[in-house]
Amino acid sequence: MKLLTLPLARAEVENLELGEMVLISGQATMSIGLPTHQRMVAHLDAGTPLPMDLRDGAFFHLSCFNRERPDGSHEALYLNPTTSTRYNAYMPRLIEGCGLRLVGGKGGLDEASVQALQRQGCVYLSFLGGGCTLLSQAIRSVVAVHWADTIAQFRLLTLELSELGPATVAIDAHGHSLYQTLHAQAARRLQARFEDHDPTP
Amino acid sequence: MAITCEQLTQLSADLYEWSLKKIPEDTKAALRAALPHESNSTGRQTLTIMLKSADAAERTGGLVCSDVGIPTYSVKIGTQVQFEGPVRQAFVDGFARMAARCNPPILQMVTNPLTHQRSHAGKDMPIVSFDVIDGANYVDITCAPKAMGTGRWEAAEIFVYPSLQAIEDFVLKTVLTSGSQACPPIVVGVGIGGTFDHAARIAKDAVLRPFGEQNPEPLLAEMEARLLKTINELGFGPMGTGGNTTAMAVHVNYSASHGFVPVAVSLNCWINRRTRARIHGDGRVERLE
Repeated sequence: MKLLTLPLARAEVENLELGEMVLISGQATMSIGLPTHQRMVAHLDAGTPLPMDLRDGAFFHLSCFNRERPDGSHEALYLNPTTSTRYNAYMPRLIEGCGLRLVGGKGGLDEASVQALQRQGCVYLSFLGGGCTLLSQAIRSVVAVHWADTIAQFRLLTLELSELGPATVAIDAHGHSLYQTLHAQAARRLQARFEDHDPTP
Repeated sequence: MAITCEQLTQLSADLYEWSLKKIPEDTKAALRAALPHESNSTGRQTLTIMLKSADAAERTGGLVCSDVGIPTYSVKIGTQVQFEGPVRQAFVDGFARMAARCNPPILQMVTNPLTHQRSHAGKDMPIVSFDVIDGANYVDITCAPKAMGTGRWEAAEIFVYPSLQAIEDFVLKTVLTSGSQACPPIVVGVGIGGTFDHAARIAKDAVLRPFGEQNPEPLLAEMEARLLKTINELGFGPMGTGGNTTAMAVHVNYSASHGFVPVAVSLNCWINRRTRARIHGDGRVERLE
């Protein structure tokens, strides 16, 4: 299984193939807050810098329990993916505006993001939903916690990770999406069935 | 002898925590059984990782999924049972106890739908439905936390004198819409008939039915088999990245209805959260799963 160590060059992600499984090491940023996505896009639109530089980096839809210790440092206890499609409206802007190489979560992203991934040279990774204990073994340390005025999983959180995964390359950097292919195939199969009969009783 | 409020509080707290840390035995068996039949190599690897994930959570007392959902309980009360203290409040207290004590601590998932404020408590939380079992001297409690992964894709529609095919088409359209996003292989529960609210209730009951129980209604047993076969031919596969393991089971319940026929489709993801226990009238607690 291929190990991807962040930050990544464009050529490294362009070599990834659909369905391939990978592990991720290095610093990755995550949040599952819709307001967080809106705030990130607002920064890009206003031309004000985000709290961290995400260029050539990773931004994942991973939900992470993190908290401040009594000494003021932070700990991250566990993480797990959430459904990415609810961020469809924000992801094309974030992928290109932040210069990302890896995004991910579960369930995929829409066509606008597929195109943005191709233009940017970035891939979408599918993590295992229900993979909390397994995936959390990769947590090494908390690098930074930004926008800590929100609930834990909405914060903009950067973790040091070691071999996070396995994750499946589900949208590549060349405009190919497993989600689109599989959905179109399923819709075709059902359409043939629906056409076979008059659904009106 | 009566069942005490404290017993109900502790058991409702335990059931919720257990449901987050262990997937049902029948579900593990279904994932294992699917492995040799999965045609897609990514799908086979994903099934293997699912089993590892479930095992890791169970061995270490970790969470299977970080989205602990909102707690829902189905409570069936034997009419011979005596209670000492408030019953509904015991479940509210049980949720609060679990949220305060669970290790690891849980994220805030209860959301006020009007303000989007998150918390560990909220109006009508936890969601508890009550029913009775005539003559029984025990209480059966099922806990099935519900999260967005599948909760978002459940659906209901009202038909008028529908054909069986029209009902099945609605189920399939619902599964198609959920597609890769509901963490397949899923469990599909269908409720046909009754009223709008009742159809949803029996669809949820259908989701929670243990695998392998034969539907006593021959028409529905055939429908379940047809739907399962068709869904697994759609190609979404484990985690929706391809394969022929998209559903582990389809369960269909029905109730008599008027000419209008509500059809509800309830879904569970591959971790199929579900725990059950029985409190006997003498206070003895029996964990059923």
